[in-house]
This record gives sequence, C-alpha cells and structure tokens, in this order.
Amino acid sequence: MEGHVSKVAEKHQPIYEIRDLKCSYGDAFTLLIPSLMIERGDSVGIIGPNGSGKSTLLRTLAFLQVPMGGSIRYRGRKLSSPQNVNTLSVTMLLQEPYLLKRSVFENIAYGLKTRGRRPDLTERVKHALVQVGLDPVKFARRRWYELSGGESQRVALAARLAIEPEVLILDEPTANVDRQSAFQIKEAIGLIRRKYGTTLIVASHDHLWLGQIATRNLEIYDGRVSETGGANLIQGHWQGCKEGLWEYRLSDGQRIYSINPPGEHAAALLHPSSIIVSTEHPEGMSARNILQGTVSAMHLEREPGKVRVEVMVSTLPFICSLTVQAVENLGIIPGKRVWVVFKASSLQWH
Amino acid sequence: MGYILHGLARAGVLLVRGDPETYSAILTTLKVSSLSIVVSLAFGIPGGFALGYFQFSGKKQLRAVVDTFLALPTVVVGLLVYAFISSRGPLGGLGLLYTVPGIAVAQTVLVVPIVVSLTATAVESLDRRLKSTIITLGARGRKIAFTSLFEARFAVITAAVAAYGRAISEVGVSMMIGGNIKWYTRTITTAIALETGKGDFAKGIALGVVLLLLAFIINWLLIFLKRKA
Repeated sequence: MEGHVSKVAEKHQPIYEIRDLKCSYGDAFTLLIPSLMIERGDSVGIIGPNGSGKSTLLRTLAFLQVPMGGSIRYRGRKLSSPQNVNTLSVTMLLQEPYLLKRSVFENIAYGLKTRGRRPDLTERVKHALVQVGLDPVKFARRRWYELSGGESQRVALAARLAIEPEVLILDEPTANVDRQSAFQIKEAIGLIRRKYGTTLIVASHDHLWLGQIATRNLEIYDGRVSETGGANLIQGHWQGCKEGLWEYRLSDGQRIYSINPPGEHAAALLHPSSIIVSTEHPEGMSARNILQGTVSAMHLEREPGKVRVEVMVSTLPFICSLTVQAVENLGIIPGKRVWVVFKASSLQWH
Repeated sequence: MGYILHGLARAGVLLVRGDPETYSAILTTLKVSSLSIVVSLAFGIPGGFALGYFQFSGKKQLRAVVDTFLALPTVVVGLLVYAFISSRGPLGGLGLLYTVPGIAVAQTVLVVPIVVSLTATAVESLDRRLKSTIITLGARGRKIAFTSLFEARFAVITAAVAAYGRAISEVGVSMMIGGNIKWYTRTITTAIALETGKGDFAKGIALGVVLLLLAFIINWLLIFLKRKA
C-alpha cells in the first residue's frame, strides 16, 4: 500500500522544482530564478535574445552545469549533477550537434548500450532513424564525416529519441539546418510528445513553431525568467519624447511608443492578443502605435480556430493571434502588407 | 660514385640471399623497439590522458617538464641509463647492461615523453561538446574517460607510430647501452654506424634500405591516421 501511495505521489510530483536558482556564465551575466516548476508532460518553450541565459538554463536543467546557488529537485530528489543519479532519464540536444567518431548506427546505439538496453538494439536504432526521416539502409553504416549538417542534427536527435527519455531538452534544434531537416526534426519532436508524453523543454527563435508545440512559454531576458504566454519581446533603446511617452526608433524610421520604461534599455512584453491587424491604414484610432509591416509566416495555433501570424516591422517580428475567420476575411497571406496596432499602455515591462 | 653503386648492388644480394648478420640486426631492432614501444604505451597513454584530461595545480609546470624531455639529447639519456644499470649503479644487480632489455629500457625512457606529450595534446584537442554529449546520453564516471580516450584514438595511434619511428631510428642509446655486440645487441642503426666506419658500405646500405623502408611504412601510416583524425 505504501509503495502504491508513493508511486501515485511521484506521478503527481512536478518533474522539476527550482528554488532560488543562481547560475553564472563567466562575467557575462547571472541567471536568477526564484521559483519555477515544470510538470510531467509539460511542453515548455523558452524564448529570449542571444546571450540572455537560455543555454545556461537548459544546461542546468540537463545537469550539465552545476548552479552556484539554490536547488533543483528532479522527481522530488535534490540534484546538482548527473553523477548523483544513475537512472537519470534527462537528455539534451545541443544547438550544434556533436557526433562520436563512429558510424551512425554506433552513435545512436551508444546511449542504449550505456543504459544497458541491449535487447532489440538494432531494431531500436532503425526505429529512431525512421522517426527522424532517415533511411536506415542508407544511413546506418555512414561515418560521422559523411553527413551534412542537417543529417548530423537528425542523427543526434535520433540518438536521444532511441533512449525514450522522460525529459528531452532542445537548444535551438532547427537553427543551423536545411528546411527538410528542420521539418523532420519538428515532426519527430511532435511525435514523441504525443506518443510517449515526454516532457519537452525547447529553446527556439521560431515563435510560430513554439506556438504549435508549447503548452507554456518562458521569456528570458538578461538572466531573468518570466512566464509570458508567448508575448513578443521588444528590446529597445527608449528615449523620452513628448506627451510623457517614450519612443524606440526602428531602423526604417517607424517608432514604437511606450509609457514609463524602467530604464533606457528595458525589455517590453507585448501579448499577441493586444495587437490588432489591419489591411488598411487605420484612421481615428486612440492607439499610439500604428506600424506598417509585412506578413512573413503563418501557423495554426494549438488552440482550435486560431492562427499565429508573424508580421515583420522593419527587422522586428511581431507575433499576432487572429481567428481563422479574420484571416480569411482580411485575405491575410505571407507577403501581404498590413498594419499592426496597439496601445502604448499594452507594453508591459520585463 | 662507383663504390656507392657497387655497395647498392651488393646490398641487394645480401638482402635477397638472407645474409645472417644483416637479418640478425634487423630482428634485434624489431625486438628492441617493439618491447620499448609496448612499455612506453602502457605507461605513456594513461599518463598522457591524465595530463590532458584532468585539471590540477602544477599541470602547466608538469606539461613543461614533459615537453622538455622531448628535446633531451639521446647521449644524455644514454648516460643516465648507463649510470643506473651499470654494475656500480643502483640497478646494476639486474644485469641489464649490454642486453636487449637494457636497450629497450633506454629507448623507453627516450620515447615515453613523446607518447605522454602527444597523447595529452590529443586529449586536450577533443571537442568541448564531447563530454556534454556523452553525459547526456548516460555516460558516468569511468565511461566518460574511456569514451573520451576512444574518441582521441586516431591521434593517440599517431603518437604511438611517431614514437615507434623514433625508437627504431635511435643509435645513441642503442650503442651506449647495448654495446653493439654481434648476433646479440647489434641493431640496424648501430650496425650501419659500425660498417660505415669499417668502410663496408654494402652492409650499411642494405641495412639503410631496410630502415628507409620501415620509415616509409611508418610515415605512410602517419599520413593515413592524420587523415582519419
């Protein structure tokens, strides 16, 4: 009975419980997380500019980096390094994959052999290759130097999928790969999430993809983490202007207006639901921000009937959330010129 | 010029007909250098791995000492080993002077720094992502070390081949410790030195051809391994 109760309790325990975590990356910054919980089966998207601490957070969650302070509980147990636990089922795919100097087969089999999962080794390796869209007959015997960048990333992912991890951590998995590989990688990640309920923690600049797979979004800026529900992050150089407003000048001359930024280089959060999209220049609006841009990409959201639309305003992407009906009525397609409209007060500070 | 050509022709005859003295020198060389390389690798690879892999205080200084030993003059090594294994030395009781094992000991002292230094360099040159990758795939403790060494295998084998090349072409220590005794401790290099001194170029050239052939094979192996690495 006790064993059953403890198993039930374990099932409902968060998979990660972080308290007062402090990590540093040389002298560049310090990552500070007062509190963060990740539940079993969550799919967490992590967004932030380069150098904000995303990789440091991911490496800490993968127990590849020991924090300077605070605690991480994994399945209820306090850990700081993977050496503490032999049965850790957390794996991480690095942004730039490293393949061992062996064949593709041996690369994928390495994790299985290390964890003592030798029965059906060949079948598991073949299955992993198929999951990432690589033909086992063509690829199993290839050497590490005979693969393109995209193929290498897929083999590296296959090596992680083969061990059927409880937690899969991905650092920009599609950043440096060709389109076909990016598609296959995204499909494979989506599949293991649906099939095995693997907890996913993904850092990516691909907001649209994260919108599809993530159940939660965390924004990291300057070492601070907040849960923002997929808000746009506007990192600007704010200057005071008339009427008590502050402005940020984009490279094409357009300006974003805000109210009372905490500092000149403060980061603002703008939720997609606060943005109105118009196909004509709106007249007589109270909103101070009316920016012209071009639709660059569109994706169905996890929520039925909703579409994520990415609009490039100068070099800044704005993620907007529209209904399918609105997209149809306005005739919004990639390449269309539109206006994004939002109030200065919609900008919240990170 | 005539004597060189004559020497070349006679060298061919010696090799083809299996001249016993010539082949005795070849076999002794192979025995000595193989013995010394096995011992050198047994100590040098773990030592080089530890030097390259772990962080500890004094690491830079130790590395400098090892690299200094790379440039040690062979006569100095010969002198030091002679002092230890001669009848008046602390290891005189082992009876190693003027023996094949004695030459192997001296060659080992000469060659171990090469193995240690090149192995340490090979391990230090491993990709930074290797450790993170194998930990995240489940490696722990000794498995991390063994996998890292295996990843450096091409460079480590290159180190072994380079060390072997050094051993077989060594003349100074072989002469001082082995004594160049016919049928017993005479190696290719000491025989060449002797025959050249006597003016018998045929034997010298024959042995030189064999040494060149061995050097060629070793260099070919080095090029092949560097490409692999």
